[in-house]
Amino acid sequence: MAKREVVTQKLQAMLPEDAVCKDDSFKAGVVFSAQVPIGKLREAIKACDESEYYLESITALDFQDTFELVYHLNCYEAKSRIALRVLCGHDQAPATVSDIFPSALWQEREVHDFFAIRFTDSPDMRPLLMPEDADYYPLRKTFGTVHAYHKREKIYG
Amino acid sequence: MAEQFREPVVEHIYTLNLGPQHPSTHGVLRVLLDLDGEFIVKADPIIGYGHRGHEKMAENRTYKQFMPNSSRMDYLSGLLYNHGFVLAVEKMAEVQVPERAKYIRVICSELNRISSHLLWFGTYVMDLGGFTPFLYAFDDRENILDILDRVSGSRLTYSYCRFGGVTRDIDEQFIDMTRAFVKRLRSRWSDYHNLVTKNVIFINRTRDVGVISADLARQFGIVGPNLRACGISFDVRKAEPYEVYDRFDFEIPTGANGDALDRYNVRLEEMEQSCRIIEQALDQLPAGAHINEAVPFKVRPPRGEVYFAFESARGLTAFYLVSDGSPYPYRCHIRVPSFGNLQVLTEVLRGMLVADAISILGSIDVVIPEIDR
Amino acid sequence: MGSEMASDWIRIIVGLIIVLAFSQLNALFLVWLERKVAGHIQLRYGPMEVGPHGILQTIVDGIKLVGKELITPASADWKLFIIAPVLVFMPVLVAFLVLPFGENLIIRDMNIGVLLIFAFSTLSVLSILAGGWAANNKYALLGAIRSVAQNVAYEIPLLLTVLSVALMTQSLRFSEIVAAQGKVWFIFLQPVAGLIYLICATAETNRAPFDMPEAESELIAGFHTEYSGMRFGLFFLAEYTNMFIVSAVAVALFFGGWHGPFGFGLGIPDIVWFLLKVYVLLFVIMWVRWTFPRVRFDQLMNFCWKVMLPLSLLNLVVTAAVMKLL
Repeated sequence: MAKREVVTQKLQAMLPEDAVCKDDSFKAGVVFSAQVPIGKLREAIKACDESEYYLESITALDFQDTFELVYHLNCYEAKSRIALRVLCGHDQAPATVSDIFPSALWQEREVHDFFAIRFTDSPDMRPLLMPEDADYYPLRKTFGTVHAYHKREKIYG
Repeated sequence: MAEQFREPVVEHIYTLNLGPQHPSTHGVLRVLLDLDGEFIVKADPIIGYGHRGHEKMAENRTYKQFMPNSSRMDYLSGLLYNHGFVLAVEKMAEVQVPERAKYIRVICSELNRISSHLLWFGTYVMDLGGFTPFLYAFDDRENILDILDRVSGSRLTYSYCRFGGVTRDIDEQFIDMTRAFVKRLRSRWSDYHNLVTKNVIFINRTRDVGVISADLARQFGIVGPNLRACGISFDVRKAEPYEVYDRFDFEIPTGANGDALDRYNVRLEEMEQSCRIIEQALDQLPAGAHINEAVPFKVRPPRGEVYFAFESARGLTAFYLVSDGSPYPYRCHIRVPSFGNLQVLTEVLRGMLVADAISILGSIDVVIPEIDR
Repeated sequence: MGSEMASDWIRIIVGLIIVLAFSQLNALFLVWLERKVAGHIQLRYGPMEVGPHGILQTIVDGIKLVGKELITPASADWKLFIIAPVLVFMPVLVAFLVLPFGENLIIRDMNIGVLLIFAFSTLSVLSILAGGWAANNKYALLGAIRSVAQNVAYEIPLLLTVLSVALMTQSLRFSEIVAAQGKVWFIFLQPVAGLIYLICATAETNRAPFDMPEAESELIAGFHTEYSGMRFGLFFLAEYTNMFIVSAVAVALFFGGWHGPFGFGLGIPDIVWFLLKVYVLLFVIMWVRWTFPRVRFDQLMNFCWKVMLPLSLLNLVVTAAVMKLL
C-alpha cells in the first residue's frame, strides 16, 4: 500500500471527521490536508514519522483572530505530500517536534524569529535569521508596511 | 574515522570560527567549531548574515514585481527559481501556457542547472586544493551564460519567465548555440574524469568522507543530489511532473554510500542527464506563440493557497503562496533545499578532521543566501 | 701564505655577493615562472602587462610589498614575530655555499657539503614554528604545527635516499658525487631513490600536493596569515629559494650535475647545463602543483611513515648489498 494511504488512515483514525480534507487532483500541491488540534500535534507528527515521511517545511500565517501553523510533510513516493494545519492563538505555544524530526529545530527557530511563536521544550530557541538583539518580529502583520490583514475565514472561507 | 575518536579531554578543547569570511564557505556562513587538536567535537552552523527579508518583501509587491526577487535567493539557479515561481502562480491562477513556451522554459532551466553544477564542480575541487578544474569549468560555463544572455539579457539573475510564457522568443541561433554547447560539453566529460574523478588524491579525500545514511537524510529533510547519493531515487521532475518533463526520457542517478564521492558522481551524472533533456526538448520544440497574451497585467489569483515544488540545482524547492484575491500575496514562504542540507552538518561533522569539514561542506553544495532569504 | 688567505677571503666575499644577487634574481624569476605556468595550465595568459610578457611583474610586486604597512597584531609576541621571517630566509642562503654550479664553480667545496644543506634546512622548521606561534592566531598555529610535523617526518626518507647515493660514491662532497656521474646519471642506477627524493623534496618545501600548512581554502594562509608587507615577502621568497636549493641538490645527486647527457658536453658551459636541469625540475614541481588536489594531513603522514620510510630503507639495504657484492 502506498505510504500516503497508510498515513491517511492513521491520521483519519485520530482526528475528527470534518478535520480531514482529501484532494487527489493535487491542485494545491497536497494530497491530504488536516486540521489538527494543538494538543494532538505531536501525535500526528509521530504517526507521519512512523510512516516514513519527512518534514518538509513549517510555516506560519498571521490572521487577525489566530495564527495558523502549517506543517508540510512528504515522502519519497510520487505525489504524497500532506499538510497538517494547527490553529494557534496569538499567545499560545505549541509543542516542539524537534525530537521527532531534527530538521524541525531550525524551522521552528525561523518561525519564532518571524512571528514570536514560542515552541515549548525546544532545546534551542536562539534567533536563526534575525540579529540576537532584535525585539521585533518582521512577518507579523502588525510590523512594517502591510497590505492586508484579514481574519482567517476571508481566505479559507 | 569517527569510531577511533576517543572522548576528548575538556581542557584541550578550543573554539575556532570557520567564517563568516572564509574562502571555502560558499556565501556568508559561520561554523563555530569546538576542536580537540584537529578533530571536531561540536559544529554549530550560524547563519543569518545575508537575511534580506524576501518573504516580507513578497507581501508588499505584486506577483510580477516579486519576480526579480525570486532569482536572487539562490543566484546560481536563478532561472530555475524564476521558473518555479511563475509555475506556482500560474497553477494558482489557472493560466494557460502555450506549448512552445513550456519547452523554452524547460530548455533554459536545464541549462541553468548545468551551469550551477559546473560552478559547484569547480569550486569543490578548488576547495580541495586543485585550482585548475575551476577554470576549465568556468570556460564551459561561459558558453551557457552567453546563450542565456542573448535571450534574456542577464548572465546570472534572470527574470526571463512571465506568467503565461517567456519574454522573448528564441531564434535559430539560440538553437544552434545550444546544440553546439551540448556537443562540446559531452566531449569534456573524459577530461574531467581523467583529471579529477580518477585522481587517487581526490578519491582519498572524498571516499567515505561525510557519510549520510538514508535514515539521517530522512530525519533532516535532505533533498536533491545529496539524498540521491544515499541511494534514494527521489526527483521532483519524476515524482510530481510539471511543465513537459513527463515527455522526456531521462534517468535519475543515484549513489550507494552517501559519501562525498557519491555526491560528486551524482552531480556529474545529472549534468549528462540534463544534456539529454535539452536535446530531446530541442528536437520536440513546436512552433507557436511564446507567451499567452491574454494574461492580465496584474495577476489576481483566486482566494486560496498553493504549495508548488520543483527541482532546483540543489534539490526540492517549493513556493507556498497564500492569496486573498488581491494582486499582492498574503504570504509567500519559500522552502529551500539548503535549509535541511546545512543542518545535517551538526551531526555529520562530529569526529571529523577540519580538512574533512571543508570537503563535506563543499560536497553538500549549499548556497547560503537561499537559506537566509 | 698571506696571498692565499687574501685570495680565500676575496673568493668568499665575491662568492657571497654573487650568491645574494643570484638568489634574489632567481626568486624573482621563479615567481614570474610560477605565475606563467599556472596561467597557461589554466587556459589563460598570466601576467602580460608589465614588461614584455609580464617579466617585470615580480619587481613591481616587490616594490608594492615593500611599500605596505607592517602590521604587528597587538597580542602577538613581537620579538619572535619580527625575527621569524628573517630566520626563515637565512638558512636557505647558506645552502648556496656548497652547490656545484660547475666544475670549478663551487664557493666552498666542503667534504660534508650534502650534510650542510640538510642541517640548515632543518633550521627553517624552527623558524616556521616561531612564525606561526608568534602570530597568536589559531589558524597560524594550526598551520605551523602541521608544517613542523610534515617537515620532520619527510626528512627521514629524504636523508635515507641521499645516504644511498653517498654509499655509492663513498663521499658526501658534492664535486666528487657529480664527477662520478660522468657517464651514467645516478637516476638510472637509483630510480627508486630519485623518485622518493623528489616526493620528499616537494613535501619539505610545503608545495602542493603537500601544502596543507598553507592550505589556502582551509586555513586562510596557514602560518603566514598575520604577516603583511615585506615580512610576507620574505616568507614567499624563502619558499622559492628553498625550492631552488632542493632541485639543485636533486640535479647534483641524481641528474648528473653539470655534465651533459652521457658525458657529451656539446660545447655548452657547465653552469648552463646545471641551471637548465634545475629549471626543468622546477617546472615539473610547478606543473604538479597546478594539477593535483591537496593530500589530507593524516593521509600525508600515513604516506610518509607507511610507504616512503620502508621503501627508502629497503632501497638503502639493497644498495648496500649490491655495493658489497660488486
